[in-house]
Amino acid sequence: MSDIITTSGLCKQYGKVLRVKDLDLSVPEGVVYGFLGPNGAGKSTTMKMILGLVKPTAGTIDVFGRRVNSRSRLAILKEVGSLIESPSYYGHLTGGENLKIISTLKGVPEKDIDRVLQIVRLENQKGKKVGHYSMGMKQRLGLACALLGDPKLLILDEPTNGLDPSGIQEMRELICLLPQQYGMTVMVSSHLLSEIDQLATNVGIISKGELVFQDSLPTLHEKSGRSIAVRTLNNEAAAKVFGEQEISCRIEKDCLLLPELADKELAGYISLLFERHIGVVRIEERRKSLEDIFLELTGTAVSL
Amino acid sequence: MMKALAMEFYKTRRRRVWAIVAALIFVQLLWGIWAARNMDTRDLQQGWMFCLYQFPALNSIMMPVIAAVVASRLSDVEHKGQALKLLETVVSPGRLFGAKFLCGTLYMLAVVVLQLLVIVFMGYAKGFEGGVPFDKLLYYLLFTTAVNLTILLLQQVLSLLFVNQMVSFSVGLIGGLAGLFSMFLPQDLGRFLLWGYYGVLMLVRMDWDRDTRIVDYYYVPADWTGFIILAVMFCTIYMIGRTLFVRKEM
Repeated sequence: MSDIITTSGLCKQYGKVLRVKDLDLSVPEGVVYGFLGPNGAGKSTTMKMILGLVKPTAGTIDVFGRRVNSRSRLAILKEVGSLIESPSYYGHLTGGENLKIISTLKGVPEKDIDRVLQIVRLENQKGKKVGHYSMGMKQRLGLACALLGDPKLLILDEPTNGLDPSGIQEMRELICLLPQQYGMTVMVSSHLLSEIDQLATNVGIISKGELVFQDSLPTLHEKSGRSIAVRTLNNEAAAKVFGEQEISCRIEKDCLLLPELADKELAGYISLLFERHIGVVRIEERRKSLEDIFLELTGTAVSL
Repeated sequence: MMKALAMEFYKTRRRRVWAIVAALIFVQLLWGIWAARNMDTRDLQQGWMFCLYQFPALNSIMMPVIAAVVASRLSDVEHKGQALKLLETVVSPGRLFGAKFLCGTLYMLAVVVLQLLVIVFMGYAKGFEGGVPFDKLLYYLLFTTAVNLTILLLQQVLSLLFVNQMVSFSVGLIGGLAGLFSMFLPQDLGRFLLWGYYGVLMLVRMDWDRDTRIVDYYYVPADWTGFIILAVMFCTIYMIGRTLFVRKEM
């Protein structure tokens, strides 16, 4: 699978602050790439650099295998749809008129307007002024603008921001539909881990401008290794017993955390504790949540 | 470029930019009717010169405001809906800047053409002596348009760079007042002020006799040096303004 977007050593400096540091992104073709990071991590800046709206301080960007620069930018962007932060619109014009402006400038036939309105389920609101649209409708109109011309790549920056729960669900369904039905590659950013978990097939995690993880979502899940928590009436003595058996363990709150063990092996160690008169009161399997991994990677509390 | 220009006009739908142009012409027509109501034979002899003197004076206060409003109406639509970050993915910022300026140019040109029609209408209606001075009116069209477009350009740059449109409105208002004031100062001082060029490029001067209280108008040669300085100002503002807009990050 070839990469649709690759960046190499991408940096952006504002004043003396380096907002994006040596970013090496690889977005494979046909995936939903979740670009995850806390607020202010540099997600929007990175996406704007890919679209040429912000000039990188250093590094290179390749989209569809072509280097993005001021000359090639617009030719490359003919195959790219984008929705950056809040939707862009002309409030005094209708939804249809807004789409006409973008389709004309993009050189897309006017009949495409009805198609994209149908995809985002706004066909009945085509003649209504966008100023009278709800936030969810404006966001869907923004997505419709991005879909004009059937682009190969969609770049969506926090597309569910400001939407109510039903709007969020609807937007997520729409985004998931795009790679399957239209063969698009989608790069979607969010500060919500749960959202990326539901939407994406690949994940890039950015923290303080640096890429701290990039791989498929299952690989991220694999990081959430299991452990066994044993609570005894004397954890220190129990830890000594496990130490004698060369089992690494650590005391966390009122439990002993052991690595994942086979059932038979674990039963043997528990018997040993009984033999040493150490009362076992609880045994449970623990799994590191995605939130824990995110916290480990970014050092920032995750938004759910 | 034609597509981008057509879309600029399309964007101004329901924005009633033409209403500003119509309002200005209506006010000037009313003023013309009022000013010409009691013209005697002597006034009618100098009727064309009277118009070519009074209209630039009116323009120096009204046109900067009109240019500010037109530029603001064309640029504000982009700020209100944060449309630039989408537009600049489908059209280059340089082309967008050019299309917006051309759109504003056509509105400002329409103002001057309509103004000329008002002058000709006044001339025929009141029976100004002599034929229509087409050469002078052509110079008037050229010079007024040149000043209008330079001011429009400055206003467009301000309106695009600053989200708060009060910045460009304030510049338009203060500039208009300064321009009018500069007409009462020695002509060379007016050359230092963009808004003073309505006065600098006037084709008619006035001679007022304090004792007899009689006003005499007379034609003066076109000030081509002033026109060239204005052209240099236009090119400078265009290059700096366009570069600032193109370099502006979203």
